[in-house]
Amino acid sequence: MLDLLPEWMRNGIGDDAAFWIGYLTNGKHLAWYASFQFTIFAALMGGALALVFGLAGAGLKSSRFLPLRALGDFYSAIVRGVPDVLFFLFFPLAFEQTIEWFVSARICSPEAIAANPAPWPPCAEANWFLGTTEYLILASVSLGLVYGAFATNVIHGAMRAVPYGQLEAARAYGFSDRQVFWRFQIRQMWVYALPGLSNVWLLLIKATSLLSLLQIADIVLWADRLGAPNFLPSVGLVHGDWRWRYYLVLLVFYILVTWLSERGFEALMRRAGRGMLNEARVG
Amino acid sequence: MTTILNEILAFAPAALFNIYFAAASIPLGFGLAILFAFGKASRNPLISALSRGYIYAFRGSPLFIQLFMFYSLALSMNVTHWKPMGIDWLVLHPLFLGPLVLVLNTTAYTAEIFYGALRAVPHGELEAARAYGMSPWQQFRSVTWPHMIRLAWPAYTNEVVFLFHATAIVYFALPVIGNQKDLMVTAKELFERDFNAYLHFPIAALYFLAVSLAVFFVFGRIYERLVRHMQRAPKVRYAPKWIR
Repeated sequence: MLDLLPEWMRNGIGDDAAFWIGYLTNGKHLAWYASFQFTIFAALMGGALALVFGLAGAGLKSSRFLPLRALGDFYSAIVRGVPDVLFFLFFPLAFEQTIEWFVSARICSPEAIAANPAPWPPCAEANWFLGTTEYLILASVSLGLVYGAFATNVIHGAMRAVPYGQLEAARAYGFSDRQVFWRFQIRQMWVYALPGLSNVWLLLIKATSLLSLLQIADIVLWADRLGAPNFLPSVGLVHGDWRWRYYLVLLVFYILVTWLSERGFEALMRRAGRGMLNEARVG
Repeated sequence: MTTILNEILAFAPAALFNIYFAAASIPLGFGLAILFAFGKASRNPLISALSRGYIYAFRGSPLFIQLFMFYSLALSMNVTHWKPMGIDWLVLHPLFLGPLVLVLNTTAYTAEIFYGALRAVPHGELEAARAYGMSPWQQFRSVTWPHMIRLAWPAYTNEVVFLFHATAIVYFALPVIGNQKDLMVTAKELFERDFNAYLHFPIAALYFLAVSLAVFFVFGRIYERLVRHMQRAPKVRYAPKWIR
């Protein structure tokens, strides 16, 4: 990296600064910076899926058909009743096993199953290898499922908070049930849902720090590797145990993301609240 | 059926570790949170800014990283500080460090709840107390505190349940010593032995659900006591918002 700079700049910065620039742009550090993409992808994808699951769950919960309503209640109650990390681990593992079981039922011969010493998979051919990409997608889906359950409650409450008179007026004007739902209830629901959804989003961002539990080389794993005592035979001890400094950087990163999200949601709320009563905007 | 029963019994000692983490950090966090809530509401700009910053920092960052950071901080100070003082066995022990970080974390969340409740204390009653010539301590004792605790209780119940859920990640960041395994570590180890995800994880979830329900029950009883003087007592919600 330092070689890219012109000669006069290289001479202008002292040896100390040159060391730091060199240190902070070595291959491992660049890999660390690159691994932020996993966290950002998981947050955005998980957030989008949480919104989808939240809308679906809220739809189920307000369904007039009892089994569907029970399904919505069950989803939002059970997933919120267990720790997010438990579900976050359980879902990808269980999903992988389920697929492997279906595959093994098709391709494994009884002899192969009998000959296989390992408890899982049933036979070697049914093994489904998951790489970083697959785990990242599964992690996003499970983040979406967990926080979708939170969003279900928020959206369900917000849909009921829409003033009933608005819907009655719409019906009186001759709008069909579907039109009333999409054009009035969903459209006005956002103002009431945004404060709650903002909370869910903040929770979800913080949960993206758990990606390393699924063997994804994310920012937390890299911080651990980079901070561990670093000894090179040619140079000697580069640095001692610096892990806490790297974790401090991550801590500041998450606080900044939280701060940015809060500003973003404030802007969204101002936009969604245009032309509505003041009380609704305060939420 | 017997497999499930055996499994439930096998998890029982592990559940004690989660309960210990929560029980060790909740009382301390409760006390500190009151201080920080008053600190945030303080008229002294320095105290207010410090409390605000503390609450924001710990609410804005993941507990997982807080655990990692404090553990590695304690490790790096081991040779220089803890060893000479002869307390390295205590400071680096997960049963000490875990509750320490959980206390720091739950203090911030609970302080925010209490701060919100503090601002909702009816101003007229405070003025009346002052008009009666009550000292600041008497005002706190007879007006501020009863209002604050009653207003904050439903949200605080959620926070306690959430803290209990958060104990699940303690041992993912801190080292497991010998047989001291909590629910998640037990589930993960059993899973790595026979790869039966559909048995081990739901049983662990069952424990979390059971304790959560127990907390809701106990805190609901306390809430009923707190609001017993009110004519139309607000009902405690068993399907709360769970927003931390």
